[in-house]
Amino acid sequence: MRGATQILALQSASFVLRERIVAVLVGLFVALVLLSSWLGWSATATVTGIYIRSAAFLQASGQPVPPNPVLDISPLSLMRNMVVYVALIGALAAIVIGNQLVALDRKSGVIPLIGVRPVPPHGYALAKIAALGGLVIGLTALSALVSVATFAILPQTTLDGAGWARLAGFFGLSAIYMMILGLVALASAAFARAEGVGLLVPVTLWLTLTFILPALTSNILPTAALNPISALAPLPESPFFQWAGWALGPVSLADAYKIDSARLLGFLPQDYAVRAMVPPLASLLAALVLAAVWATHALTRIDLTKGDYDA
Amino acid sequence: MPASIISIRHMCQTFDSLPVVRDLTFGIAEGEVFGFLGHNGAGKTTTVHMLTTLARPASGTAEIAGADIVGDPMGVRRQIGYVPENVRLYDTLTAQENLMFFARLSGLGDPAARVAETLALLDCSDLALRRVGGFSKGMRQRIGLAQAILHRPRVLFLDEPTSGLDPMGIKMLRDVIARLNRDRGMTIFMNTHLLSEIAKTCTSIGVLGHGRLIYHDTMQAVTARYGSDSALEELYLSLAPASQPAGAA
Repeated sequence: MRGATQILALQSASFVLRERIVAVLVGLFVALVLLSSWLGWSATATVTGIYIRSAAFLQASGQPVPPNPVLDISPLSLMRNMVVYVALIGALAAIVIGNQLVALDRKSGVIPLIGVRPVPPHGYALAKIAALGGLVIGLTALSALVSVATFAILPQTTLDGAGWARLAGFFGLSAIYMMILGLVALASAAFARAEGVGLLVPVTLWLTLTFILPALTSNILPTAALNPISALAPLPESPFFQWAGWALGPVSLADAYKIDSARLLGFLPQDYAVRAMVPPLASLLAALVLAAVWATHALTRIDLTKGDYDA
Repeated sequence: MPASIISIRHMCQTFDSLPVVRDLTFGIAEGEVFGFLGHNGAGKTTTVHMLTTLARPASGTAEIAGADIVGDPMGVRRQIGYVPENVRLYDTLTAQENLMFFARLSGLGDPAARVAETLALLDCSDLALRRVGGFSKGMRQRIGLAQAILHRPRVLFLDEPTSGLDPMGIKMLRDVIARLNRDRGMTIFMNTHLLSEIAKTCTSIGVLGHGRLIYHDTMQAVTARYGSDSALEELYLSLAPASQPAGAA
């Protein structure tokens, strides 16, 4: 027989998946993953098609035929759009999932009825974090499956063992990034007195991480968030941006995620220098730990006698 | 004298340093239907929250079926059922889905069978596949009661169970309480304002005033002292000066 915490985690995940807004965001994320794969396939097929015709022309005119340019870049870089989709839609989906995992219980007012069940101390918090983890990993696994299928059917791209490991690393990193925002949403939904505030806090954080901080830590262009890595836009060299990159880099998590993703997928420029005072992965891991601590703290302090929102 | 299944010892609670429940000490024998009376804000619901382990007492403790509410809250939770004043459930789920969730959470081995049995016991099998969101107050109260007795608890806590119910709903609830007490030997702890309900349902009563227990006896003793007609009303009015908040008429 399953333990109460495990049952609570499974049921919570199943209830959240029935929510329309969650289904829409998950569906949108998967659609974007498919789009990313199609874009990768389309770009490769187009370049290869042009190359084949050019090579035939060069061969016919007796000129040397250079190698296919597709083979000069990392095959994993075909996934570069995924980095943007995770930072934009994947993170938003994680926020909505994290929020709904707690908000559903609070809105329904069932927390006292759960509180009188033999759920161990911290069981509620563990169950919600486990449910969030399960859903984020499931979402990541689904997108990984689409990516693996893409690489399997693309004739020009073959991945060696290290390539597959880096692809797995990218999806692991994506799960960490989504989990950070999901945990903040969990904590905020548990902590807030009004439902709207519970959602507003993580969405504001998401906006700040995605659009505001990258403008200060890597470049000033408003389109920075839409570049897979900030390095694709020119880096300003003024002292202010040098200082802002160094000081704010550790909290500029979207940038940290994009930089390490670009490194893993093999499209980070060779000369790219990280300005932040700590390495991007360390920032992300520290943020994950802090978010988990905050979520546990907030979830264990829910008032079991009512649990619902004041408003 | 049967042993106490609920034994409260010097239990206190404070909110923002203000005492809400003060030095509560009394016992309730197994098989009793106990009515807990008191004016609004007397501390009845706070007492139930502490006894059901939803809130921790500021000091003192209580034992429910041998388990301490502070030292062994998990032990207490296995022995109790709880129906809050306003039963709230997952509105988007059906009654059956809600009950299956609580049955699983209570660790029941065959939740589906227990849910079906409980719905039949409460004459509401027809509600099983309907979404709770469209339920009336009375229907919600039935499903709320069902979730509380699914795991056959030894003690059932009801917080203002008749609040907002129509006469038919009140009659149904009264019958169910009597049946659970008679057939299953379930001890019932009921907060209510309705003296008539206490008179019809309870075997013993307690009156709370300013967080203190100011009266505790059997219904038999109350009837013997004040006569059978409106005995409770007589008793409650005689205790009114001690039970009403300062300045109340």
